[in-house]
Amino acid sequence: MLLLDYQNVLIESLLKDRFAPEATPTAIDQIVSDFDNVTFHISTPESKTRILISTSIKCYRELVQYGAEDVLQREYGPYIVAPEQGYDFSVQVDLENLPESQEEKDELVRKISLLKRNAMAAPFEQAFDEYAALHEEASKYTSESAPQGVREGGGVRAIHYRDEEAIYIKASHDRVTVIFSTVFREETDRVYGKVFLQEFVDARRRAIQNAPQVLFRHDPPLELEGQPNLKAGKGDVGYITFVLFPRHLTPARREEVISHIQTFRDYFHYHIKASKAYIHSRMRRRTADFLQVLRRARPEAEEGTKERKTASGRTFKVGG
Amino acid sequence: MANHTPAVVMDNGTGYSKLGFAGNDSPSFVFPTAIATKGPTGGAGGSGSGRPAVANKPTFLTGGAGGHLSGKRGTEDLDFFIGDEALTAASGPGYGLHYPIRHGQIENWDHMERFWSNSMFKYLRVEPEDHHFLLTEPPLNPPENRENTAEIMFESFNCAGLYIAVQAVLALAASWTSSKVQDRSLTGTVIDSGEGVTHVIPVAEGYVIGSSIKSIPIAGRDITYFVQSMLRDRGEPDSSLKTAERIKEEHCYVSPDIVKEFARFDREPADRFKAFDARQPGGRTVTVDVGYERFLAPEIFFNPEIYSSDFLTPLPNIVDTTIQTSPIDVRRGLYKNIVLSGGSTLYKDFGRRLQRDIRHLVDERIKLSEAKAGNAAKSGGLDVQVITHKRQRHGPWFGGSLLGQTPEFKSYCHTKAEYEEIGPSIVRRFALLGGPGSS
Repeated sequence: MLLLDYQNVLIESLLKDRFAPEATPTAIDQIVSDFDNVTFHISTPESKTRILISTSIKCYRELVQYGAEDVLQREYGPYIVAPEQGYDFSVQVDLENLPESQEEKDELVRKISLLKRNAMAAPFEQAFDEYAALHEEASKYTSESAPQGVREGGGVRAIHYRDEEAIYIKASHDRVTVIFSTVFREETDRVYGKVFLQEFVDARRRAIQNAPQVLFRHDPPLELEGQPNLKAGKGDVGYITFVLFPRHLTPARREEVISHIQTFRDYFHYHIKASKAYIHSRMRRRTADFLQVLRRARPEAEEGTKERKTASGRTFKVGG
Repeated sequence: MANHTPAVVMDNGTGYSKLGFAGNDSPSFVFPTAIATKGPTGGAGGSGSGRPAVANKPTFLTGGAGGHLSGKRGTEDLDFFIGDEALTAASGPGYGLHYPIRHGQIENWDHMERFWSNSMFKYLRVEPEDHHFLLTEPPLNPPENRENTAEIMFESFNCAGLYIAVQAVLALAASWTSSKVQDRSLTGTVIDSGEGVTHVIPVAEGYVIGSSIKSIPIAGRDITYFVQSMLRDRGEPDSSLKTAERIKEEHCYVSPDIVKEFARFDREPADRFKAFDARQPGGRTVTVDVGYERFLAPEIFFNPEIYSSDFLTPLPNIVDTTIQTSPIDVRRGLYKNIVLSGGSTLYKDFGRRLQRDIRHLVDERIKLSEAKAGNAAKSGGLDVQVITHKRQRHGPWFGGSLLGQTPEFKSYCHTKAEYEEIGPSIVRRFALLGGPGSS
């Protein structure tokens, strides 16, 4: 597994089971967790055929500010219900009222399992739209004569999706900049992380010409000027900047790009952990090697002839 | 941060792994503890036997050449599948299937580490740094295995906190949901019967009495074989292992008395004989008759001689011996709280029959000793109670879920900071979760 899935596997498999024509409705009450402190609650509060899927996202308020409600409305329209107590957003599916064809059912399952992705996609979509508008606007001017707002680009959208880490998105007329702030608690992880990020930075230089530009630094980049609560220079905070160029922002690529970049942090951590697992397996192998050397070095039982005596006093030689 | 997220409960067994979040009433994922990696299965290169292939010359003598790992510069180590996907992948070309856990204990740490990594990131979708973990271990697990587990959990995954509990103790905790249990004690006898082997484990105040554990080589698989052999004897149209398993799960039950049960079958055949529709590959459906195996199959626990010729002690006698070899001051508690756990204890009336048989043995012994004492002293009797509950199938997992959601669970965990302070040996001791003194 190189890339992480975008959808929640559990929701997907659960709904698939339930949507199958021969399945009998049963009561469900499960709390499911996803990356970045997202929690889902799948339950059947009213009757066994009505599955309620609620989600709680730490930064939901910020997402709403960036148009999450519109995106969710677009994706889930008729299924949205009032949010459950303690959760931010709920959809309800009635098993007695499912779409007819298998494809539509699969589509619905896919959509619901992408709930987290879709909610988090809102600020990205908004930024991409803003880029399109700015791009339109900017094409009227030459680079010198552009008015202030167009040249500078839009404001920064901050999503504080974890306690100490955030994503910042900024659109301008020729690019969209996505900045991740990361914190490493572990010395080892930081080292691994650095190696990985260096690879990201170098990727463009080496082979992949159309990859987005990646920058990594310890103090906040200039784009984030004026943002509250920025930590700098401590060594354990880093800022990773992705510069998405127009070719990444075409409507055809958009969905894929948003999904990819959202999972960046988890992808990053997954690979740090996978590398550690890989190195551990090499260490285990090396230990086995060393043990073998030790076993070989052990002196064998002393050879050579030995005199033994029988009970009756006769002697004879053993070995040799 | 880890304080708001539910704890992750992972019960990795020989056959199946049960994964999920504390607080839920059933595991989110149940799949085979199998991993499919690139390359052939087992045997070749020793990679299946739980040890990486060791070349004739150690790698540092050959300059690192020829090692199977040093040649890999790409991402081959991520090319693997776990669980059901592993079974699918292994049936095709290119992948070999491995089972990292043998007899309840982890044998291949490389595979297990990757198995865990995938179960966290692909299935549960958790960032281990945000969650506490509750893992299980079999009784009599060597402390070195615990340390290895802790090394992986803390060093690779940086998990926020770790607790390793003994499966039998969790199975006892799971029985607290039964209405028969009045006091939430961690004293009792656990009968854990899964696919491969059945264990009888006495637990006193949350600690396993290791010297008295008994295991029986009869478990789920044997019952399936028994059903299959009966189907074959009768010449049923379909006697595959799968059909036998389905019949076992859907139709088998425990009878109080075999002779009477045979008579009942002859008296009211319409009620007792069932039919099972087996679907064969290719879409055909054939009907298989289900007869005496309905009650004869689980009977092999109580009368093993009908199945095996080398193991002949019935389960109730094993339980009785187990308790009799335990310290005398806990025996009363052990008889009073006999808890069932595992898929092969789910047969209808299994608990009732077991309770009756054990009580019979106990009463007989009391009578005998009263007679030996010349009937001078009367015994007050001994209370035997077998507890059947709704969570038996995934008993240890459910117990873990129950304990993992308690507010004090996190204070029982060892944290990463403590691990770094003391080292892996920290996990040799855990405070007893749910035992006396807590909550």
